[in-house]
Amino acid sequence: MPFDPSQIPIVQIVFFVMTACAIGGAIGVVSSPNLFHSALYLVLSLFGVAGYYVLLSAGFLAVVQLMVYVGAIAILILFAIMFARRLMGQGENQNNQQWWLSLPIVMILFAVLVGVVNTVSWPVSGAEPTGDTVMELGHAFLGSYLIPFEVVSILLSVALIGGIFLAREKVEAEEA
Amino acid sequence: MDLEFIISLIVQIVMIGVIAVALMTAFAAMVMVERKLLGRFTLRYGPNRVGKYGSLQIIADMFKLFFKEEVIPGHVERTVYLMAPGLALVPALMAFAVVPIAGAPFTLPFQIMGTPITINPWIANVNVGVLYILAIGSLGTYGVILGGWSSNNKYSLLGGLRTSAQMLSYELPMGLAMLSAILIVGSMQLTNIVEFQASYLGGFFWLILVQPVAFIVFYICALAEAGRSPFDLPETENELIAGFSTEYGGMKFGLFFAAEYVHMIVVSFIMATVFLGGWSGPFAQQAPFLGIGYLLIKVAFILFTMIWVRASIPRVRFDKLMKFCWKFLLPVSIANAAATALVLAVLFF
Amino acid sequence: MPIEIPTLNIAALTPFLAVTVTAFVVMFFELFVNDKRILGYLSLLGLAVAAISSVMLLGVSPAPAFQEMAISDGYALVLNLIFIVTAALSILISLSYLGDRALQRGEYYALLLFSTGGMMLMGAATDLIVVFMGLEIMSIALYVLAAFNRRKMGSGEAGMKYFILGAFASAFFLYGVALVYGATGSTNLSAIGNWFTSGGGDLTDPIALVGLSLLLVGFAFKIAAVPFQWWTPDVYQGAPTSVTAFMSVGAKAAGFAALVRLLMVSFGQAFTLDWQIAVAALAVVTMTGGNIAALAQKDIKRMLAFSSIAHAGYILVGVVPGTIDGVQAVLFYLMGYAFMNIGAFAVVAVLEHRVAISSAIEEYAGLAARKPLLAAAMLLFMVSLTGLPPFVGFWGKLYVFRAAVEANMSWLAVVGVINSAISAFYYLGVVVQMYMRPAAATEDGEEVVPISLSGPVTITLAVAVIITVILGIWPTPLVNLTSLAVFG
Repeated sequence: MPFDPSQIPIVQIVFFVMTACAIGGAIGVVSSPNLFHSALYLVLSLFGVAGYYVLLSAGFLAVVQLMVYVGAIAILILFAIMFARRLMGQGENQNNQQWWLSLPIVMILFAVLVGVVNTVSWPVSGAEPTGDTVMELGHAFLGSYLIPFEVVSILLSVALIGGIFLAREKVEAEEA
Repeated sequence: MDLEFIISLIVQIVMIGVIAVALMTAFAAMVMVERKLLGRFTLRYGPNRVGKYGSLQIIADMFKLFFKEEVIPGHVERTVYLMAPGLALVPALMAFAVVPIAGAPFTLPFQIMGTPITINPWIANVNVGVLYILAIGSLGTYGVILGGWSSNNKYSLLGGLRTSAQMLSYELPMGLAMLSAILIVGSMQLTNIVEFQASYLGGFFWLILVQPVAFIVFYICALAEAGRSPFDLPETENELIAGFSTEYGGMKFGLFFAAEYVHMIVVSFIMATVFLGGWSGPFAQQAPFLGIGYLLIKVAFILFTMIWVRASIPRVRFDKLMKFCWKFLLPVSIANAAATALVLAVLFF
Repeated sequence: MPIEIPTLNIAALTPFLAVTVTAFVVMFFELFVNDKRILGYLSLLGLAVAAISSVMLLGVSPAPAFQEMAISDGYALVLNLIFIVTAALSILISLSYLGDRALQRGEYYALLLFSTGGMMLMGAATDLIVVFMGLEIMSIALYVLAAFNRRKMGSGEAGMKYFILGAFASAFFLYGVALVYGATGSTNLSAIGNWFTSGGGDLTDPIALVGLSLLLVGFAFKIAAVPFQWWTPDVYQGAPTSVTAFMSVGAKAAGFAALVRLLMVSFGQAFTLDWQIAVAALAVVTMTGGNIAALAQKDIKRMLAFSSIAHAGYILVGVVPGTIDGVQAVLFYLMGYAFMNIGAFAVVAVLEHRVAISSAIEEYAGLAARKPLLAAAMLLFMVSLTGLPPFVGFWGKLYVFRAAVEANMSWLAVVGVINSAISAFYYLGVVVQMYMRPAAATEDGEEVVPISLSGPVTITLAVAVIITVILGIWPTPLVNLTSLAVFG
């Protein structure tokens, strides 16, 4: 059979690459003994998710995912690890004595989820993705999703107040 | 996938290659120009031994970097250590993808397999271009952080820490400065931003005229993001013995070095596009090649001022740097964005 | 594209706004006020405004607010009153309790108010996104409040544990939301319900069930139901007692608020049998587990923590029937529980005050001789928590169990009654210590630290005692109030 370039399923290839990033990264996060490496795998995983957004024609979400998660949150995590750990944190054991207990539970949960996700016929919206997602999002934020949008600011204020309070200069502990 | 798509894909790949090579060449030229200019600013000659007026100095430097012995210190974390320089350079190059270098597509004078070839003056014209630039810019931090950490050396680590704090902080006012510009244009697509500027005041409705504060904030943040003087704290020679790049030599150092310059060049392109009208200028609409010229002139001017700043202003202290960002730049840019929104609301609703 | 200003019906959320705005005002005045107790009184003022607006809204027919994202129906408003009572009583305790510990700070009251606002949002939310926002506002404020006493290691530990496990539970909740959204294409509670009843449910049964069970896990964590209760004793013990009082009632009530609305409105028609079995099982293990663990406790805060787990079990009994009577019984129970449980914690707070007595139950020995009135108040709360007449706890249990019996689930009521009997052992154990054991002999030269009651906490105790007794003798007003709680 002659090679027919029109048969190359580009979207599928990209999807599988992104999936490899997302899932491989996630496995790396939990299996790497070095905390810094775990954080780097997390970056990979988040990057894979950003790729999904691109495939779903949600460019805005993809870029925001990159900017917020990869560009800011993951860097803060690395920042904290660089402060808190010995320079080259030695490997630490990921398991405690109860790993055998959680293993079957996790496997059952996984089996149930896989089984269910495979059996369900997901309702699919036939709507075409709109061109200007940014404008659509803006209208949604100030329209039907006004209250969550505004309430998020309260949530962030709470987190800020709390974070600043807890992180302020040290007080000596009264009791051990 | 039909033939047309394949060809456009190939054209696209070629474009990416051309632009990457062009940027790396520009980097080499910039090093040269900077050394010459710094010499002039400080009443010296600058390099003047290799070639006429020292013009071949950069070639000599490149040979030196390429042919240096590859040393990987024994105490480094090998994989991450080798990844870091690449991670520094690639995002700097990637940010260029959304910059439109001319007003109209070029049509090549020949055809491939009967298909006329048109080349868009951009690599990707995404509708969230401005956000894309900010996102990619924030990825540039990784190279420095990973380099600093994997060097397993406390000075490098400090350099890495400083960088992450600095970049995270300066991204915020940078984003807000962009926001002020976007608010006026009403689009995040860079082509729209340029066309908007080109379509009023006879092509001279540059956003710097209506958003001078945003431009200045952006300029300062661009210096900080590219790690340029006076914000080149990640690599302070005198206190951190070159910071994150201490343990790097040869071409690995060369990549870090290139990343800084490419970052600076790309950010100048973005600044010229968003605030100085991009390719717009007299007759640029009719003759796209003219647009490239206008853009390059603007970029060259911005780069010149960056070198000028380096020659004039000493490096700031780290705590001052953070204070300046959080207590001055951020409030100013927030106020500017809010004022812009308010004025627009009053004018148009 | 012109921007359309959506119809908002801001009035529906007045109580939430009152509380939240007060929190910001408190943060603002924190800058200028030296005696932070003023901020506590300011918070009480804000709560009063919220209470008045809630009562006024009770007279108005419910209208959906913010594009069907929230509603101020009777159910939400009665819950608002429960949250307001909880917050107000806790603030009164805090005014005394924090005063001696250099913890008197504006952030405390602000966070407490924010948390209350989050609870109100959970009660009023008719969209899973808003439920989640409310949940997170409430929880994040509570994490910080639990760790508020930074001089005590235990407090930091409490905050940390609560935070990590709480974040984990939130992840379950979100996964549930995602699956339910995937199955039904909506996050709106009534839209989800309509999707199931209109036949779309046949195709998506399994995914909706998995989603529902993940949502249940998320809520079960917040209401501290077994087996998601592990954080409770450590957090309740480590957190400042005033915070423990607040979250033992408030967080629980908020968890129930959203859970009940979700079960009734979204899953009420299509999956009743499925979730009834799950919730009934949860109720049984929660009651039993909580009570049995409470028997072994030596520390009163831990004992009350396990008892609060048991109470979550009793309240779940009222949820199982899925009838409006059951819902109203739950609200009655929660309101009564607010008074008696916070009253009990107020006593603990008073005794902890100036380190007169630690929170070990043994040290309560001989309290009746030292402080007869305080001991009497504690006696009353313990009896009421056991569920004996003539106190409000009795009526609460009665209504909850009656709802189960009326729905032909008498066995559940029987389990509940047996559990109440078990709980008598540990509640009355405290009484036995107070009334029948002599105080531990003090060593020579050691002075007995006087127990002093300051103004605000006395008000809490007085209010709690009076309401517990009056509602015990004459529960009609509260019954009438909860009968207004219908879904809009």
